Amino acid sequence: MNPIITLTLQANLRYVRIASIMACNVAEIFADFTCNSTDIAEFCHAYELSVSEAFTNSVRYAKPSQPEKQVTIRFSSDNSSLAVSIIDTNSQFNPVTQAPDISNYPEGGYGLFLIHRLMDTVSYTREDGTNILTMTKQATITHDT
Amino acid sequence: MNISEKTINNYTIISLKGILNASSAPKLKTYIAGMPDEQSLVIDLENVEFLDSSGLGALVGIARKKRTSRAVMKLARMNERVKKVFEITQAYTLFDIYDDVSAAAEV
Repeated sequence: MNPIITLTLQANLRYVRIASIMACNVAEIFADFTCNSTDIAEFCHAYELSVSEAFTNSVRYAKPSQPEKQVTIRFSSDNSSLAVSIIDTNSQFNPVTQAPDISNYPEGGYGLFLIHRLMDTVSYTREDGTNILTMTKQATITHDT
Repeated sequence: MNISEKTINNYTIISLKGILNASSAPKLKTYIAGMPDEQSLVIDLENVEFLDSSGLGALVGIARKKRTSRAVMKLARMNERVKKVFEITQAYTLFDIYDDVSAAAEV
């Protein structure tokens, strides 16, 4: 994977839209250069939504003891897939994948489930007190005939 | 996100415009909390450009409260981007969803 761009934002929900718009824009540019034909809008929406979910989780679980809390969003790519990592220094977490029980009218618990459904691969690592959630999706490549 | 309302029959029609995410969802919850619990609602989503699970959670929470109060809450004019979130989470099973606001307020 080759790095594309890294953005660090204050861990505040008012900035979640900056993160998700950036994800959508990076995905659009990547898909535009990578694919002859693909559903670019759906590809971009997957990144817009997944980054919105992951950034929101990072802010919600930020430690109150950290006065200068930040969340870093890092994009990288290879020829056919785009990866975005959400990096924070929150406590370690379990990246659960199960769906919430919708019959109980839950107000939360959808975020990571959505990410797993939207992305091809989702990986979580803990390195030196840092959480790294990496989400990757393959652009659909259709060759001209 | 902008919120506007009007009345059709016995329903208050809440029209949302813009982004419904973790940043804006509290505004919707506060707005609805200022209305009588027993007031039935139609939420018009036509101009919601983007909805994530925080926005979905706000709508589900409002639906739960309306259900407890024996009021009705319906959704109308969901675009494809919004619909996708409801489909993945199966939240569509919790709501009556209409293509038209007037039809939602007639039943």
